[in-house]
Amino acid sequence: MSLRGKAAIVGIGETPADRLGGKPGDPRKITSQYLAWAVRLALEDAGLTKKDLDGQGLAAIYTTNHSQPFWPEEVAALLGITPAVSLAGGNGGASAVSLLGQAAAMIKAGLVDLVLCLAAAAPFSEHGRDRMEPVDTRDFEMPFGVMGPNCKISFVMSRYMHESGMTTDHFGKIAVTARYHATLNPNAYLRKALTLEEYKNGRLISDPIRLYDCVMPANGGKAYIMASPERARTLRKPPVYLLGWGERNNASAGPRFQANPLITGIRESGRAAFEMAGVSHNDIDFLGLYDDYVPIIMLQIEDLGFCGKNDREFFEKTDFTFKGDLPIQTGGGIINCGQPSTTGGMVHVIEAVRQLRGEGGARQVPDAKIGLVTGLGAVNYGKNFGCTAAAILGNSETVR
Amino acid sequence: MAETSREIPKPLPEITPVTQPFWEAAANGKLVMQHCSDCQSWVWCPRPACVECGSEKLQWTQVSGRGKVFAFTVIREVVGRALRGFAKDIPYVTAWIDLEEGPRICSNVVGCPIEKVAIGMAVDVVFEEAGPGIFLPKFKPRL
Repeated sequence: MSLRGKAAIVGIGETPADRLGGKPGDPRKITSQYLAWAVRLALEDAGLTKKDLDGQGLAAIYTTNHSQPFWPEEVAALLGITPAVSLAGGNGGASAVSLLGQAAAMIKAGLVDLVLCLAAAAPFSEHGRDRMEPVDTRDFEMPFGVMGPNCKISFVMSRYMHESGMTTDHFGKIAVTARYHATLNPNAYLRKALTLEEYKNGRLISDPIRLYDCVMPANGGKAYIMASPERARTLRKPPVYLLGWGERNNASAGPRFQANPLITGIRESGRAAFEMAGVSHNDIDFLGLYDDYVPIIMLQIEDLGFCGKNDREFFEKTDFTFKGDLPIQTGGGIINCGQPSTTGGMVHVIEAVRQLRGEGGARQVPDAKIGLVTGLGAVNYGKNFGCTAAAILGNSETVR
Repeated sequence: MAETSREIPKPLPEITPVTQPFWEAAANGKLVMQHCSDCQSWVWCPRPACVECGSEKLQWTQVSGRGKVFAFTVIREVVGRALRGFAKDIPYVTAWIDLEEGPRICSNVVGCPIEKVAIGMAVDVVFEEAGPGIFLPKFKPRL
């Protein structure tokens, strides 16, 4: 089923990221407050009211330490809306991009003509519940002192450096570029320029991962609203259409007991998105790649086919800034905007909408018509990301 | 010692019907993994059925315990409440070990200065008691 042009993002809402609750005496704001705030901003952006959401679609993303099993219904109850269809985003950081396709499918099928997709988390001010871990993690990683994603992505990065010969110069260039974009984004959290030297001098967290390779936890809420093309054309802002979409979960390059950890499911989800969109690599004006860690950005550029595997020269020669050959992380990425748990997966969707509306301000990609965003979630045992999703978005010109 | 009794515990595996044969063998100094009688694939981590062909005819089979370091990291900071018990061990090495038979296992490299650990290093399994009856398969450099 092609979803090309069958649904559009019509509203975005993003609270500023903060770390309130991290210090004694900080004012305290909880998850539901960030949720309500993000929804209000998205409704205002779209020119809709809360009442418009009754009888429509709701897609609520589970967050790490807060969500209980009936989370979408709790969200509906917290906000006071009556959805006709409720979806749950259970793909971690991939959920925001994954739900773009699921929401568009519901809209295309005619079940609803609006879907509100939202997520929020307040890890600094609300400790929530102890998380349940997947059995592989609980039984075969944690007893060995595996420190979550930092450790698991360090395995991937260690192997990547071994096979590709990439150095801190390569990773640092990506980190510095993303931070440069953050300095131009009023909504970013880390907005002070980062130098290559500072990157290289970042303390080792889990070799070879250094401080500036890692995403930073934050509090915050984010939301987007999708609509049918007919409804979209009646609303306040220029619609941003879903052109292509793909999702692959539990991908395994090679036998499952010994997969290649340097190939992500983005290879398949990206290929599916390109096929549905009917566009080529040259048509892509910018990339927003899920970035809980710097090396993962590079693996995705390879897996999407913008270069070959381990192509050092490509990473050395390419200008990844917003005015360059292949702009990436144009708003600074999750690494610089903060990661309120799985809400972080919204960062690239929201930034892509801004770019495609021409709302990119000082970091606007010139003449941006088409952007590609990805989401990743759950780091599987012995591999890389369990959940992957890719979406290609375009402005009105691309669906004529 | 009083100090030892106040130590923050490290997380231990939960023994389930699926994983019990693994931990029983480990307690006897043997590293075992599931092997599919139908498609001949190795299956790791333990599963109720073969992740390649779906067969439930999985045989627990002893493996050599010989392998090579495929990737590794040095843990330098504790992340998360559940793992505070490891603070006193920092820095330590966690690694992916590729066994001679094929499966990749996540473990620790022990008995070796951390600066000596390298990708490709040959290692052998050793079992360390982590709790009552729980022995973890770890790896030390092959002499």
